[in-house]
Amino acid sequence: MNTRIYVPADAAARSVGADVVAEAIVAEASRRGVAIELVRNGSRGMLWLETLVEVVTGAGRVAYGPVAPEDVASLFDAGFLTGGAHPLGHGVTEQLPWLAKQDRLVFARVGVIDPLSVADWQAHGGGRGLRKALGMAPAEIVAAITKSGLRGRGGAGFPTGIKWQTVLDTPGEQKFVVANADEGDSGTFSDRMLMEGDPLSFLEGMLICGLGVGADHGYIYLRSEYPDAERVLTAAIANARAAGLLGPNVLGSGKAFDVTLRRGAGAYVCGEETALLESLEGKRGEVRFRPPLPAVAGLFGKPTALNNVVTFGSVPAILADGPEAYAARGVGRSKGTLPFQLAGNLKQGGLVELPFGVSLSELVNEYGGGTASGRPLRAVQVGGPLGAFLPNDALVLPLDYEAFAAKGAIVGHGGIVVFDDTVNMAGMARYAMEFCAIESCGKCTPCRIGSTRGVEVIDRVRAGEDREKDTALLRELCDTMTHASLCALGGMTAWPVLSALDHFPEDFGSPGAAAEGN
Amino acid sequence: MNTDKLVRMANQIGAFFATEPDHAVAVESVTSHIRRMWEPRMRAGLLAHVAETGGAGLSPLVLEAVTANRERLASLTPRNPT
Amino acid sequence: MYSLKVPDAGTKPSAGPALVTVEIDGTLIAVPEGTSVMRAATEAGVRIPKLCATEMLEAFGSCRLCLVEIDGRKGYPASCTTLVAPGMKVKTQTPKLAELRRGVMELYISDHPLDCLTCSANGNCELQEMAGVVGLRQVRYGYEGLNHLKAKKDSSNPYFTLDPAKCIVCSRCVRACEEVQGTFALTIDGRGFASLVATGTNDFMSSECVSCGACVQACPTATLVEKTIEDKGQPDHVVNTICAYCGVGCGFRAEMKGSEVVRMVPEKDSKSNEGHSCVKGRFAWGYATHPDRVKTPLIRKSIHDPWQPVSWEVAMAHAASEVKRIQAAYGRGAVGGITSSRCTNEETWLVQKLIRAGFGNNNVDTCARVCHSPTGYGLKVTLGESAGTQDFISVEDADVIIVIGANPTEGHPVFGSRLKKRLREGAQLIVVDPRATDLVRSPHIEAKYHLQLRPGTNVAVANALAHVIVTEGLADDAFARARCEVGDYENWRTFVSEARNSPEATESITGVPAAAIRGAARLYATAKNGAIYYGLGVTEHSQGSTMVMAIANLAMATGNVGRPGVGVNPLRGQNNVQGSCDMGSFPHELPGYRHVSDPAVRAAFETNWAVNLDPEPGLRLPNMLDAALDGSFKAIYIQGEDPAQSDPDLHHVHAALSAMECVIVQDLFLNETAKFAHVFFPGSSFLEKDGTFTNAERRIGRVRKVMPPLAGKADWEVTVAFAKALGYEMDYAHPSDIMDEIAGLMPTFTGVSYEKLERLGSIQWPCNDAAPEGTPIMHIERFVRGKGKFALTEYVATDERSTDRFPLLLTTGRVLSQYNVGAQTRRTHNSQWHPEDVLEIHPHDAEQRGIKHGDLVVVASRKGDTRLHADVTERVAPGVVYTTFHHPESGANLVTTDYSDWATNCPEYKVTAVQVRLARAAERAESAAAAAGK
Repeated sequence: MNTRIYVPADAAARSVGADVVAEAIVAEASRRGVAIELVRNGSRGMLWLETLVEVVTGAGRVAYGPVAPEDVASLFDAGFLTGGAHPLGHGVTEQLPWLAKQDRLVFARVGVIDPLSVADWQAHGGGRGLRKALGMAPAEIVAAITKSGLRGRGGAGFPTGIKWQTVLDTPGEQKFVVANADEGDSGTFSDRMLMEGDPLSFLEGMLICGLGVGADHGYIYLRSEYPDAERVLTAAIANARAAGLLGPNVLGSGKAFDVTLRRGAGAYVCGEETALLESLEGKRGEVRFRPPLPAVAGLFGKPTALNNVVTFGSVPAILADGPEAYAARGVGRSKGTLPFQLAGNLKQGGLVELPFGVSLSELVNEYGGGTASGRPLRAVQVGGPLGAFLPNDALVLPLDYEAFAAKGAIVGHGGIVVFDDTVNMAGMARYAMEFCAIESCGKCTPCRIGSTRGVEVIDRVRAGEDREKDTALLRELCDTMTHASLCALGGMTAWPVLSALDHFPEDFGSPGAAAEGN
Repeated sequence: MNTDKLVRMANQIGAFFATEPDHAVAVESVTSHIRRMWEPRMRAGLLAHVAETGGAGLSPLVLEAVTANRERLASLTPRNPT
Repeated sequence: MYSLKVPDAGTKPSAGPALVTVEIDGTLIAVPEGTSVMRAATEAGVRIPKLCATEMLEAFGSCRLCLVEIDGRKGYPASCTTLVAPGMKVKTQTPKLAELRRGVMELYISDHPLDCLTCSANGNCELQEMAGVVGLRQVRYGYEGLNHLKAKKDSSNPYFTLDPAKCIVCSRCVRACEEVQGTFALTIDGRGFASLVATGTNDFMSSECVSCGACVQACPTATLVEKTIEDKGQPDHVVNTICAYCGVGCGFRAEMKGSEVVRMVPEKDSKSNEGHSCVKGRFAWGYATHPDRVKTPLIRKSIHDPWQPVSWEVAMAHAASEVKRIQAAYGRGAVGGITSSRCTNEETWLVQKLIRAGFGNNNVDTCARVCHSPTGYGLKVTLGESAGTQDFISVEDADVIIVIGANPTEGHPVFGSRLKKRLREGAQLIVVDPRATDLVRSPHIEAKYHLQLRPGTNVAVANALAHVIVTEGLADDAFARARCEVGDYENWRTFVSEARNSPEATESITGVPAAAIRGAARLYATAKNGAIYYGLGVTEHSQGSTMVMAIANLAMATGNVGRPGVGVNPLRGQNNVQGSCDMGSFPHELPGYRHVSDPAVRAAFETNWAVNLDPEPGLRLPNMLDAALDGSFKAIYIQGEDPAQSDPDLHHVHAALSAMECVIVQDLFLNETAKFAHVFFPGSSFLEKDGTFTNAERRIGRVRKVMPPLAGKADWEVTVAFAKALGYEMDYAHPSDIMDEIAGLMPTFTGVSYEKLERLGSIQWPCNDAAPEGTPIMHIERFVRGKGKFALTEYVATDERSTDRFPLLLTTGRVLSQYNVGAQTRRTHNSQWHPEDVLEIHPHDAEQRGIKHGDLVVVASRKGDTRLHADVTERVAPGVVYTTFHHPESGANLVTTDYSDWATNCPEYKVTAVQVRLARAAERAESAAAAAGK
């Protein structure tokens, strides 16, 4: 039997040379006349170890990484095909503490299976949720989701069951499922890793949603910057159709569901659900006012269940193992697990799936291993570019929607970006405004003009001509944007700006900069 | 009046009513239409043509209507008493 | 932008049946469910600041000025996008709201030129007003930051400019273009701070823009502004009136400075257009003061002599003596007259009265002869009334719409926009037209069926549709048997069921695939509400009247009459063609479509007019021309019509006019017919007189004088003076006196008066004791004639056949920017869109003849020939060519024949067999020289 070797085809792994490593392994095996079977899997999420090569041995899958092409010959020399010792060796992958301590539900198969193999997926438990759902009434499916306590993983944390219930209850012959795969927050990559590493489970979540709300068609709105995910999803959808998972008769149930993949055009704001719908309809990606909610009048005016990729990815496990098992995880009203993404100035960046309640400190210091630079940590931004900057003393915070909200911060999509003490927080505040200015759809005035004026005013504060007056103006502008903007982009830009101003006034040129207000 | 044109117009009217299943109704409809829509000198022109040529070019239905209703088509409506 | 003086509730009214009571700033107000908080506040007398909201458009929620506080709700919801809920308590004025609004306004002004005093919108600018309302006192951001102040102004459109430097990105213009007009020519370009309104192309003139003006009207600043406002400043007073172009009859606000029109803006309260307009009514009114206007009466002995300007008295005396002389010499019937569908009801009334009472005969006709006379005849026979069955708003309830031989987006643009809106909402469309009109496929619109028939085969198509409806059991038998003459219905069922009327049998005649006919018939017959709209492509055929009856048959057979969303809807061509017909312009009918032979009807008129009326039908216009060549017709009084350009077979028309001894023309301009005239009475435009017009939905509305008549007399005054010169006294102090006379003599008008028009705005006749406020939809309980009558509509091919010598069929139509013979629109900037008429020809036919796009070609028929430039396009099918007749030099009517409708003599403009060939070098040189000399 040929030895099976896994080399990730995940975009992050490919960006550090996984393709070349894979080619090198194939070439070396051929040169040595050794028969191997190479599988391109998803990433295990230990990005500092990429390219992480795994070899299937009698003891299990043994990990080597980070492997560079020039390491390949020595790996063969060291007998890595049978798990031989090598300086890059880490032993059995599953036993690596970083992985072993996690509680992977959404990412259970990511990095484990061949993402495009329906058989491999099923062999690892894929499709169990769907089979259960096919035997349930729509209302039962929705009730299970409600009972699980699952909340939207895109950032807003709205209870998914309630959303699905609304779609189910809204009369309409045609309803839709839409997956928001426009993952644009800085420091986030869980959607991408799931789509690249286990696309079938993501599709399974959409399918279950369709069965639950009474929709026979789903759309995936994928950001254009994810060509790898597009390629994987395209193939996965085709394979799912061939396997009877998608189509007019899902697994012989007589129920129909199919999926269309649509690529976005590079606008961050199209991750906002109503702008996403506009874009999906072929219009300019502009935010719609609410109500009506998309659940009532969404895509082409039809009731639409619109959720994030990870939300859909969370669904199969809820159905497969029961909502109680899911709800048993987490704290307070934050149930289940969240795939956290560690990024920025960290020794060990990557994906960590854990139940809610883990502290920021544990994620940053234990999983992340502290700053990559070795310098003192100064600030952490959780939840993307619109999340507040948290100072060192906030690391005790548990990852929990309500605990974060109480501190004026957000969990968001679970992206965590770490900065060391070389960061200039006035510059980061400026960047937040600039980000809003670049990504604003231009519909509402506070965001459209306010973000540009915000950049200018921060520049004036930093220049220090009349710092007190300009700081007051900046705070007032933040207030206008917070309360008057149409969507969260303009409405939340103030959070990073004000948190920087409040926690790091010294970076704005004067300790007095933060004296105004709170 | 241009006789060719009058004949053509009359035949067009005849063609419309020709489908009428009740022949008597068809004849009456052709007559009535011409009587009510045509100015007296047009009617006179058509009657003169029938008198002179026996109705050359007219369709049988029209010819029948005109021939059978010569007086009605020629007559002038009495004026209201002043 | 619209006048600030006109209240705007911010969002559309809601039709929600239930009332919801809310409290706004302490005031309780009950409004229909579905009403926005903003509108509820307006109704409670509370003004909430706003910029992106207007009641013309759907709520958008972008400006963020209209934020309010609502008890129990988080944050500051926008009042335009928040709907009322029972018990809701709203605060519109709090310190926090004031702060937020000022904050937003400060951002607006930080990117806006500070040139209010020299801005064309000064005094009528919503931004300026709102800055005042929110109390903005300073812009702390300064003006040195990023801005759009140097953005390039687009002046390419002849009527308005786009200055992006003044744009506040409220998207009102973009939304107006989409929601109201349905053209989708505008967009917001760029995103974030870079967002700016733009056309999809370099500038307005190269874009899809149809210049309807909706964007200009929607703009709250001077970003989009009329050039006349830029030139003349803001108006000082407003007069409400009606557009004098097509039969939609849009209500307009004539915004005036003294007696000078500054701009025409569509009236929001006008039911025919509800605040929308097209490029003609909105902008093309400059002809009214064009230097070509004739301001003094003219006479001449012979048409080869130069004109002599004379006083009104001299002109009248001359014209009257000529008429008397001719009647003495050739008989009372040797004279006649033509009323104008461009003039008011009152003026038309007077002209037919002059002819009937003054000339003493019934030789009166109108330009409806050449357009919708078959409608009058066909609908009278089948339904009992010579008019359309619905009001325009009815289309909003239609589920399946058939458009036959009409091109509403060009010919009736404001109705076209309404129709497109309904189609975008999901109604299905069937187009019956030899040509692929815009309705067949345009942005967000696609016809489910385009029955692209051969010109002249309408009736065969209608019979085939009826065949499917009857033989497939799709007819509404219960309706037909209860509401119509049963015997006729049975005869009709038998007739249409015959195999020769099946779609399969007619396919070889019509060229329309049987499957398409079957699909269309099923779609229409099974619709909840099926409506038919038609135009001159139905009437202007040798079987025009037959086709009108066939349409009425289809509607009756499917039960699609007598409620909103259905009906038989003629799209009438001219502003007052319905009215001129109503007013007794047909030679066989007294006003109100009552035959002249009816002694009782005559007696009523004779008593009122103190004359004895001729009981015999008079000559129709084509008969008059024939009689002129025959020597028995010698004088004609033509008010506001130009048969020497508009009528078919012009060689014949010109010969007939030349044969007359006295041609009296009354018009704004020395038109083509004036070349054959001996007397010219200068006419007055719609801006120069009071009166009423009646549009295609039977809606009577007031035309109001905004300036004195340029030649001193309004048209009605001219007719009064002419009658007096003839010795027939007419005594009216004002057109309202004429309307009183009309109301006294027409049973369908007894309830109409100027006082009531003032009160109601407009009235749809019949308006009488049975319907004191008018009749939006007719035939509801019963047909006007009692039982509806099914007529048998045998298809009879036209005598005009294509042959080897004339292998192509020419059909005609019109374009948006020009109107009819172009007398008005050619004297405006509208000609920039359509400087000449062109010949549309299919690539296949063009290639066979070696014709390339833009080549000069010769179009020849049995009657004559003319030269046009070729437009090689697939809009027409092979074997069909198409042109318009807006420019006299195009001579489309030199080619058309004198074939006409069997019942009404309406000319067969829509079918002429022609040959087309490439022009020879000498012909090209001649045409080029003529064009250069023009």
